Amino acid sequence: MDELEIIKGTFFQECEELLADLENGLLAMEAGSGDAETVNAVFRAVHSIKGGAGAFGFEALVRFAHVFETLMDAVRSNKVPATQSLAADLLRAADILADHVNAAQSGDLVDEGRTAAMAAELTALTDPDGLAAPADDEGDFPDFTPQPIAIGGDELGDLGGDEFGFTPMAVALPDDAPVADEPADAEWEIVFTPHASLYRNANEPALFLRELERLGLLTVTLDDSRLPALEDLDAEGAYLSWTARLTTDADETTIREVFDFVEADCDLIIRPFTDDLHDLHDPDGDDLAEAPAMPDIAAILAKAAAEAPIPEMDALPAAAGAVAAAPAAPAAAAAPKAAESNQGFAAQATIRVDPERIDKLIDLVGELVINQAMLAQRVVECGLAPSSSVATGLDDLEQLTREIQESVMAIRAQPVKSVFQRMPRLVRETASMTGKQVRLVTDGEATEVDKTVIERLSDPITHMIRNAIDHGLEAPDVRVAAGKPAEGVVKLAAMHRGGRIVIEVSDDGAGINRERVKAIAISRELIGPDSQLTDDEIDNLIFLPGFSTAAKVSDVSGRGVGMDVVRRSIQALGGRISIASRPGQGSTFTLSLPLTLAVLDGMVIDVAGQTLVCPLTAIVESLKPKAEEIRNLGPSGAVLAVRGGFVPLIDIGYVLGFRAAPLNAADGVVLLIENEDGGRAALVADGIQGQRQVVIKSLESNYRQVEGIAAATILGDGRVALILDPDAVVAMRRQGGRAPDPALIAAE
Amino acid sequence: MTSAMNAPMTAYDNTATGDQIELISFHISDQEFCVDIMSVREIRGWAPATPLPQTPAYMRGVINLRGAVLPIMDLAQRLGLPAIEPSARSVIIVIKEGERLIGLLVDAVSDILTINPGMIQPTPDVACASVRSFVRGLISIEGRMISQVALERVLPEQEALAA
Repeated sequence: MDELEIIKGTFFQECEELLADLENGLLAMEAGSGDAETVNAVFRAVHSIKGGAGAFGFEALVRFAHVFETLMDAVRSNKVPATQSLAADLLRAADILADHVNAAQSGDLVDEGRTAAMAAELTALTDPDGLAAPADDEGDFPDFTPQPIAIGGDELGDLGGDEFGFTPMAVALPDDAPVADEPADAEWEIVFTPHASLYRNANEPALFLRELERLGLLTVTLDDSRLPALEDLDAEGAYLSWTARLTTDADETTIREVFDFVEADCDLIIRPFTDDLHDLHDPDGDDLAEAPAMPDIAAILAKAAAEAPIPEMDALPAAAGAVAAAPAAPAAAAAPKAAESNQGFAAQATIRVDPERIDKLIDLVGELVINQAMLAQRVVECGLAPSSSVATGLDDLEQLTREIQESVMAIRAQPVKSVFQRMPRLVRETASMTGKQVRLVTDGEATEVDKTVIERLSDPITHMIRNAIDHGLEAPDVRVAAGKPAEGVVKLAAMHRGGRIVIEVSDDGAGINRERVKAIAISRELIGPDSQLTDDEIDNLIFLPGFSTAAKVSDVSGRGVGMDVVRRSIQALGGRISIASRPGQGSTFTLSLPLTLAVLDGMVIDVAGQTLVCPLTAIVESLKPKAEEIRNLGPSGAVLAVRGGFVPLIDIGYVLGFRAAPLNAADGVVLLIENEDGGRAALVADGIQGQRQVVIKSLESNYRQVEGIAAATILGDGRVALILDPDAVVAMRRQGGRAPDPALIAAE
Repeated sequence: MTSAMNAPMTAYDNTATGDQIELISFHISDQEFCVDIMSVREIRGWAPATPLPQTPAYMRGVINLRGAVLPIMDLAQRLGLPAIEPSARSVIIVIKEGERLIGLLVDAVSDILTINPGMIQPTPDVACASVRSFVRGLISIEGRMISQVALERVLPEQEALAA
């Protein structure tokens, strides 16, 4: 059971990748850039999902995937033109397919109504003229049912009436639809002899036979001649063999694909069926005796053929003909193509690793970095010359440690693509819910960032995109009236900037209605009625808790939890979010995040007897101010004159409560910092120790978030040092310096 | 949180060997307190802590516990007693609560008690609010009075204060 669960887990992992491939392919088709290979890739993705699902008995999934596959098959054989509107329909179908996969995984139910409607739509697309005659196939089942079904026990019981309720779909297969210019159906003989290993891997022969039956008219004969007497029977042995006669216009590859997952675990002979062969392979005849000799050649051919996933459909009728004469021919023809497509896949060879192992490795490397730093410090304390062999050896060790660390971090780095590719669906759904026309443009999908960051990007991006569509973009008629195209554009972009990853979500909508935002903020008592706010400040009001501008509460956003939630989750990651808006032209949300949550380049500073670390990314420059550059401003404020501008001076020690009165900046050093929205501040510290890479340790894991502090780290002397959150320090100062009354906290 | 704290206790009550529980007792100035031994992860000597800004006075700061950042709470101050002057005898009792660890600074550890839960008497109704909320019960042994600390109430809330 456990093993099956593991295999199932792998299947779902694969499904995820296949669904992504599927969507990418369809998006390419929709954009008009899809070629025949794209269509094939889409077909393969659906087919593989169906195949796996069949093996696990996810019936609803198989059923829907089959309808989907049927249509894709028609598309790739040019029976149905691959138009852009078709791609749009297929994208919706892909969403439902994804729902089915999720449902199969979680055991939840899917929306039957939606599925049925979509399935009907797909069927109609496959066979626009309704040529297929459902009645046609019904008669075939009796042929199929009697023999194999008697064997498998419980699972086969499931194949009962309901199962065949599926068949009208199967009829929609072009195979069975007698279209005038169709090639004549070929008859095939398939001898399927499972090995014991096939059963061991939890496969069920009846399922494969059922798959075959989906391809066309099938007659199956069971050969139990090798079944030993009961006393000699090995309960886990394999003794049965099936000979199937299949009438279909599907090619050998398609037939072979049915057995894709078990090819190594069975003897499989697939050959064109002719009357001559028929005599030879009469189930009661000698053919079974000779069967063991066959697999060698057959298996080789099988392999070659199976490796060519999709032979040219146009070549099919010819190939089918050739098969009858010389079975080796199609395999040979397929070989070059197999080599070609294999090359494409080889480049992406990957291994799956339990993320916990990587996390463990990263933790260990973190400890290594700390230890290395401690060792270096001890050596310095011993008074060894920097040129001594120990010191130079340590330098090498430091270099090595850093490289190991970077390599380990690189293991966990992933392109943001995995998050981005979930968004087209979101956009489609949100667009249809809000009745707006939206085009999503993505950029920088290959931008890499630590996996831990990626996992936590999805929710904020989802929220921001929903927000952009629901609140940002106008309704189509409003847009047209404003002289814009009816279709709005939401752009999602990722880029590396200054050691951080920046994600931008922008729309070309109306921009923030500042009058309304301000009015709402006043009505909710978020700001005073006579507040004088700059445009920027008004824009940032939307990040306040409880703020929601949706005129009516919609399904999409506006549940009262809005941008404040986004901002908080971004801040929890050590990130920042800001907004820029231009009336009539749209808004851009920019969020910037550290590339990793594990290490940080920091400036180690002294503050009121404490050692703190300031993230290097925040620091523009550090300087020792001259007395004449410091100007007092107001009763307690002071500013620093920097190159003609004035920047507020903020004493870190005072703001954090480490000392009672601010340090005169002339007695210390100044770190000039710049925050996300471009504002500058001069943080005052007592001294600078130097730059160091530090391992980030969470305060929250054992305690909780502390205002003004981003995290903690462990320095070379083994003591904990706090990592400063410079923006928060500035914000604390702005809120009136000294923090909330400690007595209030104590009373919690 | 409560269930996590009670779990070890329950396990004890159900053991076949009887319903005895083990407690670690310690001194804070002239008073004696105890906590369930099951929630104690380790006991270590005092090490100077890195102070945390914007935290209540009873939070002494954080120390490095083999690579993890361990918050240290002055239990005396938390219970409303005068702050502890850390000395060579001061100890940190590392408490494991759920997934998190927290160090309690106390004056000295005295011994390990094995008692019958029936020996725990309810806290008398005294005026002091901190006693009422932080002391779960009293144990009388050999003329000593030992207060059982209600850890789940003493330990700081984990949620961020940001609001």
